[in-house]
Amino acid sequence: MSIEAIGITKRFGHFAALDNVDLTIPSGELVALLGPSGSGKTTLLRIIAGLEFADSGTIRFNGSDITEQTAGERRVGFVFQHYALFRHMTVFENIAFGLRVRPRKVRPPKKTIHSKVYDLLRLIQLENLAHRYPSQLSGGQRQRVALARALAVEPSVLLLDEPFGALDAKVRLELRRWLRQLHDEIHITSVFVTHDQEEALEVADRVVVMNQGRIEQVGSPDEVYNHPATPFVYRFLGNVNLFHGRIDEGHALLHNTAVQGKPPADNQSTLVYVRPHSLEIRRQPNGETHFRATIKHINAAGPLVKVEAVTEWGGPVHVEMSQERFRDLQLTNNESVFITPRDVKVFDGHSSD
Amino acid sequence: MLFLGVFLFLPLAVVFSSALAKGLAAYLASLREPDAWAAIRLTLIAAGIAVPANLLFGVAAAWAIGKFDFFGKSVLITLIDLPFAVSPVVSGLIYVLLFGLQGLLGPWLAAHDIKIIFAVPGIVLATIFVTFPFVARELIPLVQAQGNDEEEAALTLGAGGWQTFFRVTLPNIKWGLLYGVILCNARAMGEFGAVSVVSGHIRGRTNTMPLHIEILYNEYQFVPAFAVASLLALLALLTLFVKSAIEWKAKQQLARLEAAAAGEELA
Repeated sequence: MSIEAIGITKRFGHFAALDNVDLTIPSGELVALLGPSGSGKTTLLRIIAGLEFADSGTIRFNGSDITEQTAGERRVGFVFQHYALFRHMTVFENIAFGLRVRPRKVRPPKKTIHSKVYDLLRLIQLENLAHRYPSQLSGGQRQRVALARALAVEPSVLLLDEPFGALDAKVRLELRRWLRQLHDEIHITSVFVTHDQEEALEVADRVVVMNQGRIEQVGSPDEVYNHPATPFVYRFLGNVNLFHGRIDEGHALLHNTAVQGKPPADNQSTLVYVRPHSLEIRRQPNGETHFRATIKHINAAGPLVKVEAVTEWGGPVHVEMSQERFRDLQLTNNESVFITPRDVKVFDGHSSD
Repeated sequence: MLFLGVFLFLPLAVVFSSALAKGLAAYLASLREPDAWAAIRLTLIAAGIAVPANLLFGVAAAWAIGKFDFFGKSVLITLIDLPFAVSPVVSGLIYVLLFGLQGLLGPWLAAHDIKIIFAVPGIVLATIFVTFPFVARELIPLVQAQGNDEEEAALTLGAGGWQTFFRVTLPNIKWGLLYGVILCNARAMGEFGAVSVVSGHIRGRTNTMPLHIEILYNEYQFVPAFAVASLLALLALLTLFVKSAIEWKAKQQLARLEAAAAGEELA
């Protein structure tokens, strides 16, 4: 089922949580709403669910207007950040809840409910825990029960609010891969909210980057990461070095170093963005564009070596390189080096936010 | 321990020993006396109306305050506490001033032949007012702490408002609710000040148990006075017992859950 949000505006007092947001989610996709806290992503999800109502705008499911419908009428599956399992019910009763509260005419018989709940328990691999209470489960297990409970009513769309936010790092990684697999099996239109760019880029078919109640960019993980539409998207999707530069005769100048990358217009001042792994450190200049820097700090723990340095004009710069490259270079603190930007992104200097 | 002995157990012992001073027969006879029996009945009626009324009100107020934000919320919370802040005698007087013959609504009530003051309705109203905060006060923090998530989950799963209330909200607050009801009941049966002002002390008609005890005591009828008092004392003991039983049961349930969890981990 496709989801359309048209011109959605929502205010809490004077704070505009959503400012005229338009979004279309095609049927069967797994979409991430990504943004910092306060960007309006959870509010948008809750408005789609019918748990919150917009001040203006329209929500459509498969083209039909459901703006006035309640959460129950929309038949959405909603998974809460803190699971919201019914604490006085067992796992079985939790999953069966949505079927048991149906009006008598459309309520499935006991046997059907039983077999359906066990199907779902198999799906979430928790068959042997059917008679446990939520307090007896781990965070990851609770979240899977919450997911099964939402799926039991055969929802038209699945909405997840920071589904992995309350879990520890390792379980989070496992569970998000499991969610991706699950989606590949059942193909239900799914939207999840996250502030973790890695999670969004890894799991989603499509990423919606939000900031201050607006959508900054919608695209595949590859598009938003490699072709960010705004400085915000570029900054939010990974570590970044920000340099003030200027445009001279169609070239972006970083201090006095010309860098590649097309400026949007002939503008006197500009912002130049470079990811830490797009900067190359050399001992000797090799004829390419470069600037000088002094190494201040080296952190060699992890898959990439992180180097902090100070540029010749006194600003900080972060560089990442492979362990292999680091071994070749044998860098030490306070050493003077040459840095070559490999891939830069130039935005209009006034569009900084 | 000495303190407890002097201030709690000794008076309790005195109540029962005074009640039984002239033997069991005299004790039972004073309870079977028509005026005493009427007082017991009236107390049960007043509590029987006040407790359910405040149960409904308490749940509704806790639900509204705990789950929603609305204009005037803090005023409502203050109003709920009002009966705690005001002396019961003053609350009784307010009812007299409102419904009494010389009161604000008195002439209208008299014209329609409705008796509130010096009659059963006045006693019930005063009891409701005085026991107003018990259930609500017990539930509000509980409902606030539990938040809205489970109710929202129930709604997205297609449950209606009443289904959500009876299947999700109520089970989560049932122990707190029971606790509030027990306290409310104890106070409703034991209330003296407010009821005393509105009752008029008509023996056999508008005397509740505490009022009846006072009259008997003032007439130096110690055995009947302490016999009725012993009933209230028994009620107090029963209240304490049920209260600890609830706490014990809630704790046991928790322990069982934890034990089961530990067992599964070992397996």
